[in-house]
Amino acid sequence: MALSWKSWIANEGGKHLILVMWLGANAWLFWRTFILYYSGPQYYYLHKMLGLGLCISRASASVLNLNCSLVLLPMCRSLLTCLRGSQKLVSRKGRRLLDKSKAFHVACGVAICVFSVVHVLAHLTNVLSFSVRYSEEFPSLNVAHHRGEDPRIIILTTVPGVTGVLLVLILFLMFTASSYGIRVSNYEIFWYTHNLFFVFYIVLLVHVIGGALKYQTNVDAHPPGCFRPNRTSPEPRPSPKSEWEPVLPGSEWPMGGDGFNSICKEDARFQAHFPETWLWVSGPLCLYCAERLYRYVRSSTPVTVVSVVSHPCDVIEVRMVKKRFKARPGQYVVLNCPSVSSLEGHPFTLTACPTERKATFGIHLRVLGDWTERFTELLLPDPCMNSEILPIVQQRRYPKLYIDGPFGSPSEEVFNYEVSLCVAGGIGVTPFASVLNALLDEWQWYKLRRVYFIWICRELQSFYWFADLLCAVHQKLWQDNRPDYLNIQLYLSKAEGLQNMSEERYQALSSRLLIGRPRWKVVFEEIGKANKHKRVGVFCCGPKGISKTLHKLCNSNHVFGTTFEYNKESFS
Amino acid sequence: MGKIEWAMWANEQALAAGLILLTGGIVGVAGQFRDWEFAAYGVAAGVFICFLEYPRGMRNKGTSVERTGQYCLTVCVKAFGPVTRNYYVRAGLHAALCVPGAFILPTVLGCVCLAIASIIYLVAAIRGEQWLPILPKKTEKRVEMGKSIAYPPQNPPPRPPPELRRKRAEDLEGAAYVNPIAVTANE
Repeated sequence: MALSWKSWIANEGGKHLILVMWLGANAWLFWRTFILYYSGPQYYYLHKMLGLGLCISRASASVLNLNCSLVLLPMCRSLLTCLRGSQKLVSRKGRRLLDKSKAFHVACGVAICVFSVVHVLAHLTNVLSFSVRYSEEFPSLNVAHHRGEDPRIIILTTVPGVTGVLLVLILFLMFTASSYGIRVSNYEIFWYTHNLFFVFYIVLLVHVIGGALKYQTNVDAHPPGCFRPNRTSPEPRPSPKSEWEPVLPGSEWPMGGDGFNSICKEDARFQAHFPETWLWVSGPLCLYCAERLYRYVRSSTPVTVVSVVSHPCDVIEVRMVKKRFKARPGQYVVLNCPSVSSLEGHPFTLTACPTERKATFGIHLRVLGDWTERFTELLLPDPCMNSEILPIVQQRRYPKLYIDGPFGSPSEEVFNYEVSLCVAGGIGVTPFASVLNALLDEWQWYKLRRVYFIWICRELQSFYWFADLLCAVHQKLWQDNRPDYLNIQLYLSKAEGLQNMSEERYQALSSRLLIGRPRWKVVFEEIGKANKHKRVGVFCCGPKGISKTLHKLCNSNHVFGTTFEYNKESFS
Repeated sequence: MGKIEWAMWANEQALAAGLILLTGGIVGVAGQFRDWEFAAYGVAAGVFICFLEYPRGMRNKGTSVERTGQYCLTVCVKAFGPVTRNYYVRAGLHAALCVPGAFILPTVLGCVCLAIASIIYLVAAIRGEQWLPILPKKTEKRVEMGKSIAYPPQNPPPRPPPELRRKRAEDLEGAAYVNPIAVTANE
């Protein structure tokens, strides 16, 4: 599978462009701030006292400003969902970039950690310099109280010092709980520590009012390094490159230390900066808080559970109804059930979206962990009830359920390609189930002309989750004279003994059931041959192995000139 | 809700704290601070902690995610037996190791982070968690058949004994198969 430039650019080009732009922005900011503190005249005396530590610490601080403001933006999920929905505002390429919002958040987070380390190390040397090079000449520039003061005392008695230590501790807690292993095994630790971000930002806003680093306000009246007639300057005056010329005091001198040739008109005055971080951070922070408030208000009305159906292989379907709830196929919601756990919210893809004709929407959830187990116990009727009694339609007491969402996902794009390949592994079929439900309603509306649907399961019983839906869509498309619209392939990856779907009504599926794993190269060749020079959207929702293989195949060369664009659902 | 395994988080923290201690120690030694012996100690302690904490322990339920290349260190750490298995020992060890870091400036942060990791290890130990090594399972090599072939049958087809194999005219129903052509008696 040779890598092909055309395929690679179609698939990875946008992401890498954004990455390069972001790296460029960081590098430019770092460089610009570094140069400013290195050779800016208003920092001349400070630079002499602190040295390189000043430049590095301020440069890393400006990079931190940028990243602390950018890191919040990908987490404004409702905003991103709106952007995804507005097909006029954002092109398909832009929407594909939105799929990578979590990866961008992680990149900014890593940058924050790395540059925090640099910033802390640089400031530690600054603190040492403040202590060792205590300046008697410019006492207002000092942070230490006397020469040789213990640096640890300087840190613990100044506002920036104490808040800095606190920030590092919070960052340490957040960072160590965010690794992949922790998210997979103990998501709660990750979630609760990550919510400390709010404390982090408050402390950050306090950290920058410290005003430890000051700039000189009267550079024109007191050019740096100028000759002070009343006192001898403590450091030796370097000989300037140009000749020593007698100059009238009060005339303009170029910046950059050439003030050696001039006489000071007044003493240097220093002032602390306006905290620039407030300008960077307040916008995104307000946006994020507004978004959380909006989500909280929107999810405060509980949903009404209409029915609960139990499916084979530990899957239950919950159908609900909620006023003014609109969702597009492929979106997901976050469920919160206070009777199970008051603070936890779990994401589930919608398998049926509300339409004009039918207001109910549904999710399929697989019982895998303790939350889903407890939730299923509360929803399903007692198994020990006597089954001989006629099933009375009783007003079953369902637990209160809250829904946050809907949120966008890459699977919404299935309708925006002419040809789409949908690959599902096990319960990963849920986004495509909502797509199929939408096709059942009105397939003519969409740009989509052909769907290749590949569903891989371990057990035969799993196919019964959506066997009815698949047969219904298949039947409808045949009746509407579009037999090539939907191409179904079902794969049973673990086959012991001969298995088949023997029911009469599932005949369409049993003839499309294959034993074993799909051979992806063959599948791609087949699709490429039938759709030459077209752009095929590949959507995968399943285990990592399949996803990696598909991604590699999409990036590789294709003989028939077809471009495969890879879109992946990502969990956690 | 559900059981949280604190040890895993404590492990991440201790590894990060070890790295921070190491970095601080290197800075201290390179900058030739006043009490640079403490910085040298920081380097040594940081390296030791990184080696001790790099291999992840096994989870109680669910799949354990290994760190790349942790197998050799797993074997080394496992060799110490109960000393490394018990989390009380680890909590105490980290608490003791972090104290000398507080004396000079560069290693202060490493000291504080290690103290936090020690506290979380204590919580894990109180809840009765233990460090168990992740060892690779011995998987038997399965014969690579063509992937689309179902498993071949395990037993031979049932056959009646020889005298009953041919259908007898007097006992057509008792036979093991159905004959498309009518059976005639043996002449």
